[in-house]
Amino acid sequence: MISDIVVNIFDDLTPLATMIILAIGALSFPAVQMFIKKHTVTWAYALILVVLAFATNLVLLMDEVECEYLGVYLSPYSTFMALLFLTVLFLVVLVSNSSTETTKNHSGAYYSLLFGATIGMVFVTTSIDLLTIFVGVELTSISSYALVALKRKDGRASEAAVKYAIIGGMSTALTLYGISMVYGVAGSTELTEIAQYVATMTDTPWILAIGVICMLAGYGFKIAAVPFHMWAPDVYEGAATPVSIFLATASKKMGLGVFIQVFLVMFIGTTVTGTIFGETFQYIFAIIAAITMTVGNVVAIAQTNIKRMLAYSSIAQAGYILIMMAVMTPNAEAAGLFHMFTHVFMKGGAFLIVGALICAGVGEKISDYKGLAKRAPVLAFAMMLFLFSLAGIPPLAGFTSKFFLFASAVGVPGEASGAWVWLAFVAILNSAISLYYYARVVKAMYIEKGECTEKIKIPVPFMVAIAICVVFVIVLGVYPDLVYGFAETAVGII
Amino acid sequence: MSMILSSLIIVPLVGAIIALLMGGTREKLSKYVAIAFSAATLVIAVLLLLGIFGDFEDLGESFEWIHNSSFIMNYALEVDGLSILMVFLTALLVLLVNVFSLDEHRENNNYFYALIMAMEVGLMGVYLAADYFLFYIMWEVTLIPMYFMISWYGGPRRHYSAIKFFIYTHVASLVMLIGIFVMGYESVAPGDPVNFLFSAVKAGIGIAPIEIQALVFALLFFGFMVKMPSVPFHTWLPDAHTEAPTEGSVLLAGVMLKMGSYGIIRICIEAMPDAAFHWQWVIIAIALVSIIYGAYGCIAQTDLKKMVAFSSISHMGMVMLGIGCLSDAGITFAVFQMFAHGLITAMLFMVCGMTGHKVGTREIPLLGGLAGRMPIYATFMMIAFMASLGLPGLVGFWGEFPVIMAFYEFILENDVVWMLLFCMLSLMLTAGYYLWAMQRTLFGPETKKIDLSKAHDVGHYEFAVLLVLSILVAFFGVWPDGALQFLEPYVDNLIAGMVI
Repeated sequence: MISDIVVNIFDDLTPLATMIILAIGALSFPAVQMFIKKHTVTWAYALILVVLAFATNLVLLMDEVECEYLGVYLSPYSTFMALLFLTVLFLVVLVSNSSTETTKNHSGAYYSLLFGATIGMVFVTTSIDLLTIFVGVELTSISSYALVALKRKDGRASEAAVKYAIIGGMSTALTLYGISMVYGVAGSTELTEIAQYVATMTDTPWILAIGVICMLAGYGFKIAAVPFHMWAPDVYEGAATPVSIFLATASKKMGLGVFIQVFLVMFIGTTVTGTIFGETFQYIFAIIAAITMTVGNVVAIAQTNIKRMLAYSSIAQAGYILIMMAVMTPNAEAAGLFHMFTHVFMKGGAFLIVGALICAGVGEKISDYKGLAKRAPVLAFAMMLFLFSLAGIPPLAGFTSKFFLFASAVGVPGEASGAWVWLAFVAILNSAISLYYYARVVKAMYIEKGECTEKIKIPVPFMVAIAICVVFVIVLGVYPDLVYGFAETAVGII
Repeated sequence: MSMILSSLIIVPLVGAIIALLMGGTREKLSKYVAIAFSAATLVIAVLLLLGIFGDFEDLGESFEWIHNSSFIMNYALEVDGLSILMVFLTALLVLLVNVFSLDEHRENNNYFYALIMAMEVGLMGVYLAADYFLFYIMWEVTLIPMYFMISWYGGPRRHYSAIKFFIYTHVASLVMLIGIFVMGYESVAPGDPVNFLFSAVKAGIGIAPIEIQALVFALLFFGFMVKMPSVPFHTWLPDAHTEAPTEGSVLLAGVMLKMGSYGIIRICIEAMPDAAFHWQWVIIAIALVSIIYGAYGCIAQTDLKKMVAFSSISHMGMVMLGIGCLSDAGITFAVFQMFAHGLITAMLFMVCGMTGHKVGTREIPLLGGLAGRMPIYATFMMIAFMASLGLPGLVGFWGEFPVIMAFYEFILENDVVWMLLFCMLSLMLTAGYYLWAMQRTLFGPETKKIDLSKAHDVGHYEFAVLLVLSILVAFFGVWPDGALQFLEPYVDNLIAGMVI
């Protein structure tokens, strides 16, 4: 097995392998930048490390390695999620050097922060304890605040960073408060023990309920679930586009990962015993999911700035993914994980195009996209693919993953059969609404005539990154088993 | 495994891609590419129809496409008496539309032909698919080319119409998707992977409780009904037709609306006959309302194309009525009506679309006495109108009259003979609006309201296309068996499968 190579190199530290590679980068970038002073070198170095980490992780995922070291628990689930984060990191790093938005003066710090945030994410997925999860989330969050603020000359970025930090801080406090209450009741911060307590308790202590709700709210901020979503559009709009990609695709998936790890594990026992506690939370999740997708989609219609529109669409997509928390069947979880994965490529791709166009001097308004099909036919076509994929038009990836996700809500076996059909209905209605604002951008690009007709040239790295996204949006659409198989194994672990 | 059925999808797909790539200086050649590929598709379809490739049962193709612990989806194609007619109609109309458009020049020709060919891909896929996943994908694939067709090449209100068409039909297909989910899960034991193959689902859903079947039937039926379209979900159609270019209208009315009725027969009736009896009265009611409302709508229209659009609603209502009878004759002639309406409506939209180009307006009150100046055009218009109102000897007669016969049988059985009044009313209205429209546009004194000096008669290619269609309309009018022979074994099977 290829994974033996990794295991031989890292020995006991195998669970940490990916993180070690990333940490090497995070710690050395400032030094490299200081001594070599060439942005391209730092960039190439970062790229190599990402590829290395990616390869290591892929090998571990392929062979379904499971091992544990000092409470860091490596499983197909964690490697699956890490694959997702590293894919995003790769795309972001790839375009960072050619983007005009990212800072040039602090590229060492910039890459350090990116890598640091990714370490936090990977760390979260390998955690089985509330406190380590908390630490990972904080590592990611604090790095993200700084990343947003790095676009220093832009007032919007500063405002966004402040907003992000304050709201983030509040959510942190809430989470910690929740954790302490849960600990007080269950007597442990380890997830399996809490789950055991929840499954065997005779009545529901109200303090546990409050604790869980506090945690729900705290992590709800991370995934921008309504009503904790206010920060997202401002931050995505204010941050440099590569950072927006990172936040919208990776950071949010970490939050969803936490949802799976914490709440699913906590309540899975109750779905077996049928305690009212777990069921109540299933309904809470269902309501949050329904409201999140509806608010995201409806508000997106009114947006004129494409980054804001994509931000609201991200909120809506998080709503779709939350269906898995309500349904809580293995199928739904696998479909949710798969949708997270396809979302990386379609939303990432759309943001990449926005970023590329900003570099080429095109504005962020949807009206600036008029006549784009004439100016950049390939880009416009790619954008159309991404948007249609987000809207769920076959045979693109977004359709297939939504198909799996909504199908899983309809096909719940056993007693709860049919309980979530309404949720699938809401989701499908939302898909229809979302088509309107996606189609509006397509209309602007293809049908309306723009004032400017000169051709657009965009940097090569952007072209490559977009091409990767296009390929995956199509491939995962027609051949989902490529990733879906991994998602199923990952769910099997939980 | 034979690849004949796949070739019906692949050939137009290749054509679409080549046409798309022929930008710039080669743009003018793209039309010939489209014609060549659509002609090839038609040849394959005709050979298939004539049985050169062997029996239909032997031509099925199937291989597993997606297989995991929750789903099995297949790339499965099948052909039988029902789909072969639709396949033939699609291949025929696409070729004719391509030829028809030769007389006109437009910007970005290559996109235009790529869209037409892409639509053919989706249509063929819908009519050949034997797996729900594939069926749904193909169903949606037809949508996007039509959206662009309307919004790029359409009339003045094209943006509004295109988005209305897109969202309306997309919502409907999403409802259908939920139906497919429920049907899929109900067809297997809980926890087993869902196999979306038509035959697999059919075997499973047939034994599900009737309430479930009725629910699934309703969800799917809604999706199909919007596509047909039936009152009250018809409002996208007149807008889409009025604004679409002639070629788009022909394909939309000629074959895309048939997707709806095809779906009802292929999926709703075939898989859930019990539920069909459960909803029978609802289907009949919707059909009757569509027939009458469509016909009334026609009378009120002043735009020729919009009138034809409303007549489509009425005629598709007739299809629904035939289906609603759930009898041998009813379904057979409903399908025949689909076929007939495909031929006739293609002619209708071509003639009415031409009016706009040749005369400058399609407003009936502004027109008058065109027969004197454009005799050939007038002749074709008369043939089309007469065929559509069901003149014996033309194909429309065999679509409408036997359906009413089948309905008569149904109302006799149920002792509600007074419902025949609706049919009489519809026949009268249909004859009325066509004759009236014809009288106002073609005959009488030549109009003074518009300048007719630039009006010219049909072009060569248009003439050829209309001639072919007229011949077919007459041919199947005197020899309906030519199409019915394919249907009989299929419908016999279908009826045998219904336990009453």
